[in-house]
Amino acid sequence: MSQISRRQAMAVLGALGFGATAAACAGPGGSTAPGGATGPAAPATGAITGRVSFAHWRGEDKAVFDELIKRFAAKNSGVEVVQDISTSNDYNAQGLQKVRGAAIGDSFATFRGAQFNNFSEAGIYTELKNSKAVGNYQKGLLAAGQSGDSQLGLPYQVVFPMPMANTDLFDKAGAELAPKDWDAFLAMCEKLASSGVVPISWPGGDVGNGGQLFNCMIANNAPADDMCAQIEQGKLKCTDDWFIKMLNQYKDLIPYLQPNATGTAVEPAQNLFSQGKAAMLATGSYHIAAVRNLGAAFPIELVFPNTSTDGNATFEGVYNATFILGVNSASKNQAAAAAWIDFLSEPENAGYYANQTAQHVSVKDVEYTNADLKRLSPWLDKKTALAARFQFQNLDVRNAVEASATAVISGSSPEQAAEAAQKIVDERL
Amino acid sequence: MSTHTGTAAKRKAPDSTTEAASKKRRSPTRVNPALYLFPLPAVAIIAFFLVMPTLQAFQYAVTDWNGFSAAFNYVGVDNFVRAFTKDSLFTNALTNNLKFVLLVVIAQTVFSLLLALLLVKNSRGNVVLRALFFFPTILSSVSVAFIWKFIYDPNFGLANSALGAIGLEGLQGSYLGNNSQALYWVAVTQVWFHAGQMMVVYIAGLQAIPRELYEAAEMDGANKWQQFKSITWPFVAPATSIVVAYTTVQSFKAFDLILGIAGNPPKGSLDILSTRIYSTFANSEFGYAAAQSIIFMGMIALVTWLQRRLLRLTPKGE
Amino acid sequence: MLASISRRGILAIYAVIIIVPITVVLFGSFKSTQELFEGPFSLPQSLAPDNFAEVIGGQDLGSSFLNSVIVTGISVPVTLFIASLAGYAVARLRGFASWAIFGFLVLGMAIPAQANMVPLYVLFGRIGLLDNLTGLIVANVVSTLPIAVFILGGFMRTLPKELYEACSIDGTGPWRTYVSIALPLSAPSIAAAAIFLFVIHWNELLYPLLFIQSPGNRTLPLALLSFQGEFQTNYPLLFAGVILASLPVVVAYVFLQRYFVAGITAGASKG
Repeated sequence: MSQISRRQAMAVLGALGFGATAAACAGPGGSTAPGGATGPAAPATGAITGRVSFAHWRGEDKAVFDELIKRFAAKNSGVEVVQDISTSNDYNAQGLQKVRGAAIGDSFATFRGAQFNNFSEAGIYTELKNSKAVGNYQKGLLAAGQSGDSQLGLPYQVVFPMPMANTDLFDKAGAELAPKDWDAFLAMCEKLASSGVVPISWPGGDVGNGGQLFNCMIANNAPADDMCAQIEQGKLKCTDDWFIKMLNQYKDLIPYLQPNATGTAVEPAQNLFSQGKAAMLATGSYHIAAVRNLGAAFPIELVFPNTSTDGNATFEGVYNATFILGVNSASKNQAAAAAWIDFLSEPENAGYYANQTAQHVSVKDVEYTNADLKRLSPWLDKKTALAARFQFQNLDVRNAVEASATAVISGSSPEQAAEAAQKIVDERL
Repeated sequence: MSTHTGTAAKRKAPDSTTEAASKKRRSPTRVNPALYLFPLPAVAIIAFFLVMPTLQAFQYAVTDWNGFSAAFNYVGVDNFVRAFTKDSLFTNALTNNLKFVLLVVIAQTVFSLLLALLLVKNSRGNVVLRALFFFPTILSSVSVAFIWKFIYDPNFGLANSALGAIGLEGLQGSYLGNNSQALYWVAVTQVWFHAGQMMVVYIAGLQAIPRELYEAAEMDGANKWQQFKSITWPFVAPATSIVVAYTTVQSFKAFDLILGIAGNPPKGSLDILSTRIYSTFANSEFGYAAAQSIIFMGMIALVTWLQRRLLRLTPKGE
Repeated sequence: MLASISRRGILAIYAVIIIVPITVVLFGSFKSTQELFEGPFSLPQSLAPDNFAEVIGGQDLGSSFLNSVIVTGISVPVTLFIASLAGYAVARLRGFASWAIFGFLVLGMAIPAQANMVPLYVLFGRIGLLDNLTGLIVANVVSTLPIAVFILGGFMRTLPKELYEACSIDGTGPWRTYVSIALPLSAPSIAAAAIFLFVIHWNELLYPLLFIQSPGNRTLPLALLSFQGEFQTNYPLLFAGVILASLPVVVAYVFLQRYFVAGITAGASKG
């Protein structure tokens, strides 16, 4: 030890530092996750056993999935399914990083649109075209899980991202539940307002939920069904007349929203509705279970803010097929993960899920026994538009476009708000 | 780097010129070479996990790598050009961040000095109040964010309830929901969070000022404000520079607070550089995110340097 | 005295601004959402710990709590140990070597965590430190090592060199000197640094957010942040979580208040 001179010691120290630095300076490129995802092939087959991680964002469905897992394990001994749940915001922003590499998420769900596309681009989904599960779904609802010829994912839930209505309050005010056009909708709001309640409770402080109203507002205003995709590609613009018209309709809503709507979080908005202080909650049918838990005992219907001005609306509502189930191509336990997806897709189990969580599913031959679901089931057959916001691929673009509506409600002029949004879209073309 | 010279060292004959010795490379007592092994773990860790990734950020910043595919292109300075000229989300976050830093630095410095002046005496009551004012500092940013989210909630929150209770309904607002005010309300939260900590720094500085100076000034007939200007302010200058420097870095890094209070991703009016970098990263634009973080680093360096220059201009006794 | 009234006024108002929200959070953690919204300032109707049971059991904050204890419990002593070794060498070496090592280690304070998070994420992915507690411990050590070296090294340099040199003349090796002289004499500075690191590591959010994927590996701040998802802006639950997450730090603050103030302020003054 004492033979080492100071210089030598310094040299060793320096070399170590730089050596370490150089050695790992691998730089960009290559896979960040060992055993990274490859591409769409059918899930591997084999024994249905071992541990399966099921990654999703529906924390409120945990207990229901736990029960389904119990039933699944009873049928296949030796298999264990673990739920890895993130919140929807996190899952939306980081789901890809989390699931790639299959540290979690042997089976998983994605949001329709941008997230599904990113997942398929990164090769995380396997091919489910020939799976047992796919035959159980209603054909028309499978599109959200398709990419080219492949059926990568199975959209499990059908939700209606439309305002929910407290029909008791509507009856009391003598307001009409199904307005034919925009004037009728505003008249309805006016009646509700004069009966002493807040017509619409809107969580404008929460980007994810506040943006659902956008789906309704844009459906009948846009010149094309894929308007948001076209906005993102630059074919349609936020500064177009139809978009400005929509923003002006948002402006019409201001007197009918609760005070300080743009600062309202979800929970307070739900409370206004469940306590009977607000007649509508402008989020979607996926909040039924939540408001029931908050003590709402009144009958709930859906209301479509029909923006048509000539009474010839193309759509009577909006729906979304989402929670797109898939099997991870990087998973070591694809057989069991695929079996779990098959299991969820059986009508009996899908029915259990639907009735327990008050969500419609896209699986065929499901019997709805939940009172809320039964009441809302006619919406499954109405002419509804696929929710537009999920066409956006880039979250920055989606947030910017939706923020234009929030800006109008907090007092900006529609033209200004539209321009600000279009600027951000243009920068990302 | 030998710090102690003078009388103490001179008493020891062989060490008489420690400082000079190091320059002349004639160590009086030979340094045990084994000493060089002691910093090894620290040096290795810093080199591998801090220096290397920071250097790599430059390497990433000139690519368009998406973080998962094997292929990527070198794009030169495009990412930097994009950040400054073609990305209003980034320039918005930059403006917000600078505004936020400026606001918090001024408000927190003034307010913590005020608190320190009021609590400088070591009386029983003052000690209790200091402990209370310091308390928020130990909470996590996420906790503080949740507390203030509820304060600011426009429908059921504390601020509006309190205003309603004292008959000031006219002042009720939507706070974070108001895009032109949201950043200011978060700045208030940040000051609430850390003013107590800076107050303690100031109290230490104030207590070091010799009392005789004030007595002399009083005899000269100087009023309180004159005393503050000519004695207190110059003497707490070192504390001020600590407070300003620390507050600057803290408010550049208000990442946790913003995410907690505004959600992930935050809306445009509350987006700052660190949250924007995180969003870009989450959007799988690794190359661009790296370029943004280099700009971020540069901004902190620039602002710190500017402050040093400005602070040197403040009177220091003269 | 007008001045004295306004002095009291300012102090009283600020005290209220601190006490009231914290009391509301404390009361709120025992309320239902409805109860909280109807009367945020009122006393809770019952002291049944339903919300705590829900966050600990239902939301699994219990395991996050344990993760936080493990991560903080390891990363604080490890940081202190490595930093004190380096600080000791810096104090005993002289000339360029001391300056260079100290400068190299302390320079890291100028690098914000967001500056290198992308490469660090990739690096962690390649060496298997993503999604486990070890990765968080490493990240904590790395991010706070510079400031710990600054505090400890700065202190050890102020110790009279004779102390060290007396020992080396006796033929005692540097390790013995480190253990029997440097560490005991630096105890106040180590305690201050320990508290500073404890608060930082306990409250760290960015690294868990970046690196942790499985909910089972979440630390408290991340678990708390994850609470406010689409369906869970449930304030009473959030408040129960806030209380639980703050409890260890608050308890420590009550008992070690003076050291806390000294430690955190030392960190701040030097940061």
